[in-house]
Amino acid sequence: MSAPEHLLELTNVAKHFGGLYALSGLTFHVDPGEIVSVIGPNGAGKSTMFNVVTGLYGPDDGGIRFRGANIVGLAPNQVTKLGIARTFQTVHLFPNMTILENAMVGQHCRTRSGVFGSVFRLPGTRREEQRIRERARESLGFFGSRLAGYREEQPASALSYANRRRLEMARALATDPALVMLDEPTAGMNPRETLELRDHIVRMRDELGLTVLVIEHDMRVVKGVSDRVVALDYGRKIAEGSYDEVANDPQVIEAYLGTKAVG
Amino acid sequence: MGGVPTRSIVRTGLLGGVGAIYVALVGLYTKFADLELVGQQITLGRVLIVAPAFVAAFAVTRPRVVAGERQTVELRGGLGVGALSGLVGAGVFAAALWFADWFGVDRIREVFVAITEPLVDFLTFDKGVPAGLPILIALCVVGGVVGGFVRTAPVEIRRPASAGVLAVILFGLLQRIIPIVFVQLGFEADWLYDRGAGLTWFGALIVFAVAAAANSLWNRDGGRTRERVRRNVGQAPAAKVGLFVAILAIMTILPLLLGTAISEVLGSVMIYVLLGLGLNIVVGYAGLLDLGYVAFFAFGAYTTGLLTGAFLNTTTGAATPALSADLNFYVAVWIVALLAAGVGLLIGAPVLRLRGDYLAIVTLGLGEIVSVITASKWAQPLIGGPQGMRGVTKAEVFGLNFQDNPQHFYYLALAFVLLAAFVSWRLSTSRIGRAWNAMREDEQVADAMGISTTKFKLLAFALGGAIGSLGGALFAVSIGSLTPASFEITVSITALAVVILGGLGSIPGVLVGALVLIGLPGLLREFEEYRALIYGGALVAIMILRPQGLIPNVRRSRELEDEEVSQDAWAAKAAAESEAVAAVLPGGGLGVEREDLE
Repeated sequence: MSAPEHLLELTNVAKHFGGLYALSGLTFHVDPGEIVSVIGPNGAGKSTMFNVVTGLYGPDDGGIRFRGANIVGLAPNQVTKLGIARTFQTVHLFPNMTILENAMVGQHCRTRSGVFGSVFRLPGTRREEQRIRERARESLGFFGSRLAGYREEQPASALSYANRRRLEMARALATDPALVMLDEPTAGMNPRETLELRDHIVRMRDELGLTVLVIEHDMRVVKGVSDRVVALDYGRKIAEGSYDEVANDPQVIEAYLGTKAVG
Repeated sequence: MGGVPTRSIVRTGLLGGVGAIYVALVGLYTKFADLELVGQQITLGRVLIVAPAFVAAFAVTRPRVVAGERQTVELRGGLGVGALSGLVGAGVFAAALWFADWFGVDRIREVFVAITEPLVDFLTFDKGVPAGLPILIALCVVGGVVGGFVRTAPVEIRRPASAGVLAVILFGLLQRIIPIVFVQLGFEADWLYDRGAGLTWFGALIVFAVAAAANSLWNRDGGRTRERVRRNVGQAPAAKVGLFVAILAIMTILPLLLGTAISEVLGSVMIYVLLGLGLNIVVGYAGLLDLGYVAFFAFGAYTTGLLTGAFLNTTTGAATPALSADLNFYVAVWIVALLAAGVGLLIGAPVLRLRGDYLAIVTLGLGEIVSVITASKWAQPLIGGPQGMRGVTKAEVFGLNFQDNPQHFYYLALAFVLLAAFVSWRLSTSRIGRAWNAMREDEQVADAMGISTTKFKLLAFALGGAIGSLGGALFAVSIGSLTPASFEITVSITALAVVILGGLGSIPGVLVGALVLIGLPGLLREFEEYRALIYGGALVAIMILRPQGLIPNVRRSRELEDEEVSQDAWAAKAAAESEAVAAVLPGGGLGVEREDLE
């Protein structure tokens, strides 16, 4: 078997809810080491695409391959274990667990201690627990001191909104992914935080060697990070290419600004 | 009046009156008229006369939010409001009593069996209806004033006073235990308790004084001492170990001090602690509301019977079950737990996709199925049907008999409780506990973060089932014979009440919950009839006053103050490292972010 060309590959993916086609005939791919942005007006199917890829919904048609292997029909936890981590459009943390614990949950799929080891605290289990802790700290450390120090022991619910977003990303990083999928990471952030986040996304690729697929509305972020941009509307891909190509595509402009008056 | 709307006072007062009438109708007054708490004057019945007015006044003087501001009631207003609400309630109560007297007590008793002449005599202090009513009304007004006082008095006064009064009532209620403990320890108890009755007046005074003094010490300098001690105990492993050893020591000597009769009660407490620990894994850790937990209790009990050579009751004598083995209890019990884990998987598998209410209803049904099977003709050849089974092993070892000697049984149960608590504790602090926790907080997200919810739900059902079956196994040993009447839905409900009252996810909470819900009614046989009423009342009270449970899981009661302290410490450290805090928390940015919280 030849090495897979693409890291993630969607072929003709369709998903409908009743009569509503959230996705239809969607084909695109993400290559290793790329940052790909997905744009499109509200309801274009961006988040549905994320949910279909991560196994929250099964697609009604089409194929999804990750590192060349078919991932359609896998449960979300299996997809995560294969190396796809995600964040959610609205922040979903475990609010009553501490910040460190939230990140430690990310390491769950990379570890294996069972009932016996946990009850007797076997040496292997203790070492593993130590590793989980270190790895979780490491991913929290990606955001500098924001999630470190005294904050480690605070419940996630005590964090500010922007820090919750960061923690969600740190938790995703803690799953040791190959591909990180960020769903509107800058939503609700102020300009300064948005700017900082743009750097974080670039650092995920440059420093951590990750591939990033990001849904984003803020065009400055899209412009700043994207190797490639995919534009969706009504569940279809309407444009793909560099930022400049997509931003000047008439269909994209139409999708965002509406149809030109006829005549 | 006093910042409280008059309408509210009258309404709450009326509710207090209705409450008093309810207490009379269910027969609590007559039942407890003679249960002396202090001297011969203060009986539990008389406390119950005051109680509705007290609760009403306590409720009506609560702080209110007016136009977005929290307004507390001043002391003077609080006393007035309390007195008024007490008066309103007393008016209703007295009117009802007058009506009963005029209408004819005997005619009412045809419907409400608790309304009797002795009840009327008790409520009018043997003075007859019009003459005794002012005393009743005055008592209720006093109850109202006390209720208002407890809410509105300065904190340095009301806390110790409340602690003192609660201690006196508790000591009064425990009149059948504490004197025994004193005598066993070699002390005189006569100064504290009247023989075979409640506290002496002198004893009550001492108890009050000690409790009040302890409380003010504990809360001095505005609670800083308390917080410091809590934090130290929370952080120093040595203190934790010390606390654990102390509790264990008390639990170990308790049955020796208390004698056989009370040890029997403690034995059933321990069985419910086991059930609570098992259910706590399912409900408290994994967040799966299981209302059919009795299934594991029944399974553990009957399987223990079958594996240890019990025989079936039949009309003609005894018969051997269709499946039977004659194993040693200490071998059989592990097989029982293993099989019960299998049953947990069986019960868990079909309900994997259900959540919350739906899960509760389906497990309720599954539990009910097990109850019905135990009583059915169909299962008669195996477990004896309605006649049940007898001759369960006495689990003898080293010449100790765990069936006929409640003290011995208590130690056997304690050993299993310690084992189950240890397993629960280790699991809760491990990768597995973390996975359960994440799953409880948000199942879908936990799945997306790589936790196989299927696997961890099944694991919770299996482990919870195994521990619950140990409760059943011990129950079978303690009682020796099994009939379907012991395996009804009340077991599920009681176990759940134990877990919730103590605090979901809290191991010490299970112990306290079982002591309160099983121990207290068991010690005061008079309460037996009112068990359901007490459970209901206790659960409602806990939901209102302390929703996180009596001894909450740390995670569920994180205190803001602790956070602030550690935040300050961190900020100071950060500043020392010349790390500009202002840059980390951009000016103005923090406030904006905080408002954006979900």
